Amino acid sequence: MANYGMAFDYKLCINCHACEVACKEENGIDLGAKNHRLWIQEDALVKGDFWDLDRSEISFMQMQCQECQDAPCLKACPNGAIYVDENGIVRLHQDKCDLTRACMEACPYDARYVDEKNHVTDKCIFCADTRLARGETTTACQITCPAKLRYFGDLDDENSEISKVLKEREHFTLKPEAGTKPKLFYLK
Amino acid sequence: MKKIEVSRRKFLQGSVSLCVYASSAMAMPLATTKTSKKNAEDVPYLCNMCRNKCAGFARVEENIITKLNPNHYFPKSRNMLCPKGNAAIQAVYDKDRLKYPLIRMGKRGDGRYRRVTWDEAYEYIKDKLVKIIDEEKDNRSTVAYCNGEGFNKDEYIKFFGSKLGSANFLDEGSICLNTKLGATQLTIGDVGEMDVAGSDYMIISGANRYESLITPDSVDMLHAKQKLVVLDPRCTMTAIKADEYLPVNPGTDLAFCLSMIYIAIKDELYDKAYVKTYFKDFDKLKKHILSKKYTAKWAESKTHIPAERIKRITKEFFAASHPLYYLGRRSVWSQNDFQFRRAMVLINALAGSINRKGGIIFGKPFHLHEEEINEPLYSNTVDRFDLDGIVYGSQKGGSWLNFREKIVTNTSPYPVKAMFIRKHNLMQNMPNIEKTKKMLNMMDLVVVLDTMPSDTAVMADVILPECTFLEREDMVVSFNRLEPSLALRNQAIKPMYESKSMQDILKGLGKKLSVPLFKVSAKHDADLQESIKNYGKEKAFTEGGYNMTELYKYDITTRNKKLITAQFGKKVYDSLKKRGVWHPYIDTQKEIFNNYYEYYPKEKRHYTVERNYKVHCYLKKLEKHGFDPIPAWNDHYDFKVPKEAFRVITGRYVTTTQSATANNEMLKDFQEENYLWINNDVADSLGIKLGDSVAVMSSVSSIVIKAYPTNKIAPQVLWLSHGFGIHAREMTHAFGKGASDNMILEDKFEKIYGCATMHETNVTIRKL
Repeated sequence: MANYGMAFDYKLCINCHACEVACKEENGIDLGAKNHRLWIQEDALVKGDFWDLDRSEISFMQMQCQECQDAPCLKACPNGAIYVDENGIVRLHQDKCDLTRACMEACPYDARYVDEKNHVTDKCIFCADTRLARGETTTACQITCPAKLRYFGDLDDENSEISKVLKEREHFTLKPEAGTKPKLFYLK
Repeated sequence: MKKIEVSRRKFLQGSVSLCVYASSAMAMPLATTKTSKKNAEDVPYLCNMCRNKCAGFARVEENIITKLNPNHYFPKSRNMLCPKGNAAIQAVYDKDRLKYPLIRMGKRGDGRYRRVTWDEAYEYIKDKLVKIIDEEKDNRSTVAYCNGEGFNKDEYIKFFGSKLGSANFLDEGSICLNTKLGATQLTIGDVGEMDVAGSDYMIISGANRYESLITPDSVDMLHAKQKLVVLDPRCTMTAIKADEYLPVNPGTDLAFCLSMIYIAIKDELYDKAYVKTYFKDFDKLKKHILSKKYTAKWAESKTHIPAERIKRITKEFFAASHPLYYLGRRSVWSQNDFQFRRAMVLINALAGSINRKGGIIFGKPFHLHEEEINEPLYSNTVDRFDLDGIVYGSQKGGSWLNFREKIVTNTSPYPVKAMFIRKHNLMQNMPNIEKTKKMLNMMDLVVVLDTMPSDTAVMADVILPECTFLEREDMVVSFNRLEPSLALRNQAIKPMYESKSMQDILKGLGKKLSVPLFKVSAKHDADLQESIKNYGKEKAFTEGGYNMTELYKYDITTRNKKLITAQFGKKVYDSLKKRGVWHPYIDTQKEIFNNYYEYYPKEKRHYTVERNYKVHCYLKKLEKHGFDPIPAWNDHYDFKVPKEAFRVITGRYVTTTQSATANNEMLKDFQEENYLWINNDVADSLGIKLGDSVAVMSSVSSIVIKAYPTNKIAPQVLWLSHGFGIHAREMTHAFGKGASDNMILEDKFEKIYGCATMHETNVTIRKL
């Protein structure tokens, strides 16, 4: 029993793709650029003339399922295939999914994709059925990250590193206007 | 669970192309394999996806590697694996891998081979070698050998250099970082190591540490409290992330450095106490630099960096408590490269940043004992020739471009008739590919040891399939100087197909070659004849060291155990087998935050060691050979780009390691082909849009590549990543994707270290 979340020290990201490869290898995600549970989004561009570039607005954002506490995907699924597990992770009953894609359309974060191997919609589940299932305490993307920018842990445990870092540092969530109450936090 | 079906299907004898073998050889696991819920074996290994070496644990389930995880015990790699490290699984299970020994049937390069047994392959090599060495009257240097992989290099040299007796060894140094190593060694007497973590102000010229990851440097830069200043003619990820980015004209970093030295000396910003104690010929340096008037204004005219910025940064650098001018390791750029690298060392020295925290440190590496072998003396062997006309050069790895030039122009003092090539993609790794092809076509025997059917492998007469690094144990290696450690690559899975480790390949080859080659020596070598007369054949053979398998009397596991236990004890050996790593604080290392560790306690790190050394401002040998004994700017360093032409520079993407990762199915999802970076305003004026095909023409050849217009590159400069444009059809994922830089780069080299200068080619372009 836990309430898992993730915090990103996002400004440290160098967009090296280590997290994406680690995730795909750990979780057996099909190859192909379109298949992925997580990705890095390059926000804004370097502006201006080469000799006088403005690099101030460019940032690299870690994108994946935001583990909404009020998850639009869960409500949207006509088959009741989506549920929240005992660790607060939004999961899928694979056998109940018949690819209506309602969850994909409902998600404000574009977190889901079609897993063509298993004929379901798939997304990040914090390595719940691989690493966490074996009792490990880190996710694949977190442990491999050169910048160590991904904090993962139990939000309900005030002694967890993620709880401490969220208490110490200012942070924000993505698309707060959507009212989804994400459990993924971006550290300022 | 996905299983590898090891159904060794019999192949039709006769002429079959490599790619037919590849696709029909055996059932492979699906490209990714989800890890199971069960605990599995975690084998500690060392990565080999690039030259760097990080440590990891390979998760092995039912003899399949399902995941690679970082090893938190290794100080060097700081508990991380990069995208390439994570994708190493794909290198093991690449369906295009070399699987069986092959002998060429078609023409060189057309990929037609027949499958043979290991013994047939060895026999073929033996017959050819006996003939060649006999023809050359036992001049063993007629057999050249080269290696592009860091691990096992010394052992490979022991076999072909010490045992077989050739003086012609070549490695990647002369197309990589030899000028940097040489400049540092000659200036402060050691190649040193940079303490990035300890520096509070760091300048980087051109080295792209956030896309060409080197541990621990790249990781330390992310966490160090330091100001980072980056000079680059391209706005790389490192430049994007820098505190200050200085766009610079390619090949002019030396002018920036000279100006920093000028300002530091003129304004007396340098560390006077340090200079007084350690500098040799400082008066000469001072006189030279001041008389040349390398002012900031002068440097601005070369570099395009505003003079005021140069002045301010120089002041900030010398005012910092631990400044470091980062000595990048990267290919050599231009004719001034050695002087540029040396100027960086001198700047560090002027700041006193040598042998102290945050500077170039000497440290205390572990020195591993050598396994001694008996080396035969070949009286008829002639020395190497590729350093003729080179001032210093690497006595170990030579000069590729000078070597190749002498071969193809028939100006070498003796013919080189055979070449052994291990993990070194000659057909992609040096400028002017046609010349490399010509060189290989002049050989009577080309043998390739590799894992992949590279452009070079398909030029071979005999292909010997080596296993990947996850399928073998290697000899223990000593790493680093500030926080030294030992690391051992353990075997995660058994070699697949009929591939073998290098040691096993050389053992088999040695068994086959020792006696026949001894007989050739006995025929031509007067000293050996004398020895046989005095001691008899058997004793002359054994005591003369002619048994080429001497090093392979024991297998690698036994050799490691003996070596490590004898020098460090059983506890260290056990740690290396279990954790893959040993360092003195391994049992007490502390997690600082989020899986990031402190290894050596601060007070135990070897920031400063006792050492007698001098900083050499003046190198007499250079003057003797007509070069500047103190770094200076020469008129011919002013590279002219004609109107409507462009200067080409190269580099690589974060997901590629030269051409070695070209066929990796995971990594190709991130960068399937390379693009030509062209300034967006220039592209606009030429009507070139993103993805348009562009022909790029140089004096050597031409390529076609897709355009990437961007403001992140200067108007008269083009950039393309190295490692694409693979010609071998047998590399099915890589073939025909993007274009090769070395097709168009002119093969020029500088004469101090004999290194290829990669950034001195002008091209014109045409939209197709």
